[in-house]
Amino acid sequence: MIEVRDLVMRLRGGGGPVTILDGLSLQVPARQFLAVTGPSGSGKSTLLGLIAGLDRPTAGSIRVDGRDLGQLDEDALARLRRDTIGYVFQSFHLIPTLTALENVVVPLELAGAADPLARATALLGEVGLAGRVHHYPAQLSGGEQQRVALARAFANGPRLLLADEPTGNLDSTTGAGIIDLLVGWHRERGSTLVLVTHDPALARHADRTVELRDGRIVADRLNGHGRP
Amino acid sequence: MRFPLRMAWRETRGAWRHVVVAFGCIAVGVAALVGVASFAASLDRTLGREAKALLGGDLELRSARPLDARARAALARLAGTGATVTEVRELVGMARVPERGGTLLVELKAVEAGYPLYGRLDTEPPGPLGELLGEDGALVQEALLTRLGLAVGDPVWIGAGRFRIAGVIRKEPDRSAGLFTLGPRVLIGAGALDRTALVQFGSRVRHRALVRLPEALDARATRATLLRELPDPGLRISAFDDAEPGLRRFFAQLTTYLGLVGLVSLLVGGIGVAASARTFVERKRFTIALLKCLGADSRQLWTTYVTQAVCLGLAGSVAGAALGLAVQALLVPLVGGFVPFAIEARLEPAAIARGLAMGLLTTLLCVLWPLRRLRAVSPALILREPVEPTPAPGPRPWRTALMVGLGLAALAVWQAGSPKVGAIFVGAAVAALGLLAGTARGLTRLARRLPRLPWLAWRHGLASLYRPGGQTTGIVVALGVGVMLVVTVALLERSLSAYLDLERRRETPSFFFVDIQPDQTEAFVRTVSGVGGDSHPVLTPVVRARLAAINGQPVGRERTEGREDAWRFTREYVLTVAAAPPAATVLTRGRWWTAAETTARPRISVEEEAARSFGVDVGGSLTFDVQGVPVEAEVMSLRRVDWHALTANFFVIFSPGALEGAPSTYLATARVPRQAEAALQDAVVAAFPNVTAVPVRDVLERVGAVMDQIGAAVRLIAAFVIGAGVVVMAGALVASRYQRLYESALLRTLGASRTGVARAFAVEYACLGAAAGLTGSPLAALLGWIVLRFVLEVPWTFEPALLLLGVVLPTMLALAVGFGATFRLLGQRPLPLLRRE
Repeated sequence: MIEVRDLVMRLRGGGGPVTILDGLSLQVPARQFLAVTGPSGSGKSTLLGLIAGLDRPTAGSIRVDGRDLGQLDEDALARLRRDTIGYVFQSFHLIPTLTALENVVVPLELAGAADPLARATALLGEVGLAGRVHHYPAQLSGGEQQRVALARAFANGPRLLLADEPTGNLDSTTGAGIIDLLVGWHRERGSTLVLVTHDPALARHADRTVELRDGRIVADRLNGHGRP
Repeated sequence: MRFPLRMAWRETRGAWRHVVVAFGCIAVGVAALVGVASFAASLDRTLGREAKALLGGDLELRSARPLDARARAALARLAGTGATVTEVRELVGMARVPERGGTLLVELKAVEAGYPLYGRLDTEPPGPLGELLGEDGALVQEALLTRLGLAVGDPVWIGAGRFRIAGVIRKEPDRSAGLFTLGPRVLIGAGALDRTALVQFGSRVRHRALVRLPEALDARATRATLLRELPDPGLRISAFDDAEPGLRRFFAQLTTYLGLVGLVSLLVGGIGVAASARTFVERKRFTIALLKCLGADSRQLWTTYVTQAVCLGLAGSVAGAALGLAVQALLVPLVGGFVPFAIEARLEPAAIARGLAMGLLTTLLCVLWPLRRLRAVSPALILREPVEPTPAPGPRPWRTALMVGLGLAALAVWQAGSPKVGAIFVGAAVAALGLLAGTARGLTRLARRLPRLPWLAWRHGLASLYRPGGQTTGIVVALGVGVMLVVTVALLERSLSAYLDLERRRETPSFFFVDIQPDQTEAFVRTVSGVGGDSHPVLTPVVRARLAAINGQPVGRERTEGREDAWRFTREYVLTVAAAPPAATVLTRGRWWTAAETTARPRISVEEEAARSFGVDVGGSLTFDVQGVPVEAEVMSLRRVDWHALTANFFVIFSPGALEGAPSTYLATARVPRQAEAALQDAVVAAFPNVTAVPVRDVLERVGAVMDQIGAAVRLIAAFVIGAGVVVMAGALVASRYQRLYESALLRTLGASRTGVARAFAVEYACLGAAAGLTGSPLAALLGWIVLRFVLEVPWTFEPALLLLGVVLPTMLALAVGFGATFRLLGQRPLPLLRRE
């Protein structure tokens, strides 16, 4: 599903260029649940963003679902995200001026899906927010906001789910609920799931764990229950 | 299409302040445009509907001489086919009341029983015209009663005839409106005209034959037939659909210029829309990044925000159009006084559609540039906050710039109605905007370079002028344009009114006396010298004649038909003779004649504009028909004449002897002290009832009154430019609301009092207003000078007080708008604000 080769990412910083990713290569087969761990600043989130085509790497290549991201222009990348990828952020990133329902409707409408309102309502039901569809993000708790974000990520039935510390801003109980929803979706629909986390306990749920440090993979292991 | 539409609505709902600003920006401009265009359309429709009444018939034959036999025969033939013909003679003359000693210049009209053929003559008391006029009745305009202190039933003398005032004219359908009338109307019966003895040799009488055609005859076709039958170009033949071309031209020009002022207000609004769109995109960039993250491609996003802009533009335009109808209603009384019937102000679909299109297109063009930034917003923004604001997108910005520039220029040309006027407008607008923007930039740079001031409020207020994302340039330009226009109008009015002040025009006579017969000259001079103190009238012999040939080629209809300057060929010329060039003569070509040359053959000096129309130059010849005798004369020189000087000036001056034997009258001018004017007029008119006294003071006052009305109309529309500037400024302040809230909270947390914060705001607002005034006023002086010098050809008067006012008022306005838009911020408690940040 994902093929990352010799990925380098440098950013301009106050004191000169900063290397975030340093020649990283990684292959993630379809349907795998991969956890990416590592200390903050190790390049986890950047890796995830690059896989989603949110930014361009300094060097190296990324293939997602067989397509070389380097060959796609911004609009083609957007369409790839729309049709193939669901993204969940640590800080939810809901659009504050839209209701929960409208936030979920957006990707459906972007994809030109039939009956987007009904589908969005159903999705919010699936994440347990049937009664909160017309609330604005500011009127929802953190856990509820992340559920809306999950429903939004699930909207177009993505084959690849990218989750960037989705429980980082939540207490452990609420976080566990979110992880259950994510993993449940992955298991039921057979989608590939890449979860960035610094919580080792959470990482143990995954089929495989990759540990990053200073932009490089320092450990890559299959967990006992996992598939290759 | 579903996503852009829905998303546009959601985004609009979530940003109501931004929406209100953009809405207001467009609404103000469209209101001005729709108001002017609706007025123009209503006027045009009314003129069209009333065309027959305005002309006085389906056809009008008009001449400065009595209709000749051929014309009479043609009219008789028409009457034979069922047409109705009525004749009208119009001239100016003097009304007087010997018992009380008042005199007044009046526009006299002698009508036959059938008058009017179309429309209605409204009188007080009402009644059939024949009965009202009887043998010695005169209907007069109210102004005559007021000026002479008369009432209905009183006697009044017109020339040598005594009349009884039979009633007051309320509405006269074919008062050939012209903008300027010489005096109130007096209507008498055709048979009574002889009693006035005003129609003498050499008097200027307009002979009109009005024709109502039977159904079967088409006015245009009949006119064409008459044109063929009656080749005399001095006989003007008009069909009703061509009534009052001069009036129509005047209104067309007035509404064009008002429309352009309206366009300025829309363009100022456009600045606000562009600024608003820029801040909107800047503030929304995170949402935009997120949408990209969720799979929105740039076309979808662009469509979304353009859809939003279009909807806003449309809504603003609709509101503006509604407001425009109110503007139309205001314009009607201001300008409508120039036409002899009520202008029916009503919904004009074409004007409204055009206003909506203008509003919509302006919105669209003004958001294109800021919306380019959509593409530049990177979805990676989600991952990390960039330090700099969104960079301007790289590829081919000139294409968008070119498209926006050409689009706006096209709108200007569309509004102007002609590429030339449109191009001048665009040039002037670019120059003014460039100067305003340059000054604004200079101001921000200056504020940045100022040494550190010891007062917190000043330091902080000045710093706000160059804050990142600030809109100093936009505000100064938007307000400055309005200041420029309003001050220009005021300057023009001041200069014109100074110019029209007889006391300041030492060289201008107080009176023109027309139609003095040769045997009256001595007595006339005695009378004037007796009453006017030591003032001596200047008498010039004049001969009336008609242009017959140019360089030997007869002037026929084929030379004049359809020409805007046809009047130059067909008018009655007032010729004079002079041995030496009159004072202040400027010869532009050729030279003046010598005494020897005058004996050889007739020679003439021609005014240069007339010569250009005729296509003659020095060495060519003009032939005049002087009472049936052709007089050919060689053009020896061309002259430039300053018609504004209001002295006795002539298009054509003959060499001495050339007109000898031709029947002449005298034209006299005299300047007398103001307090002697009335006495002089009364004395001359009493002694010489056939002489017409034209008081220059009255004429200037009438011109001034018309200028005032036009000025009021222009001011009304210019006020919309100021209005648009105010909305733009309020919009910019609203856009920086959060920054301001945060700053004021921070300052107060750091110990500044609420007054201190208010003072800092005041410094900022005052600087913005003062900058707009300091740029707008000098630009107004420049623009005013250009208009006075090159368009009106009137001397410029320096008005320092007005220019100062042009700085003080915008400063106060900016303070008022600023506090209006932000005073609530000052009341907010700091802690919740800081927490929210």
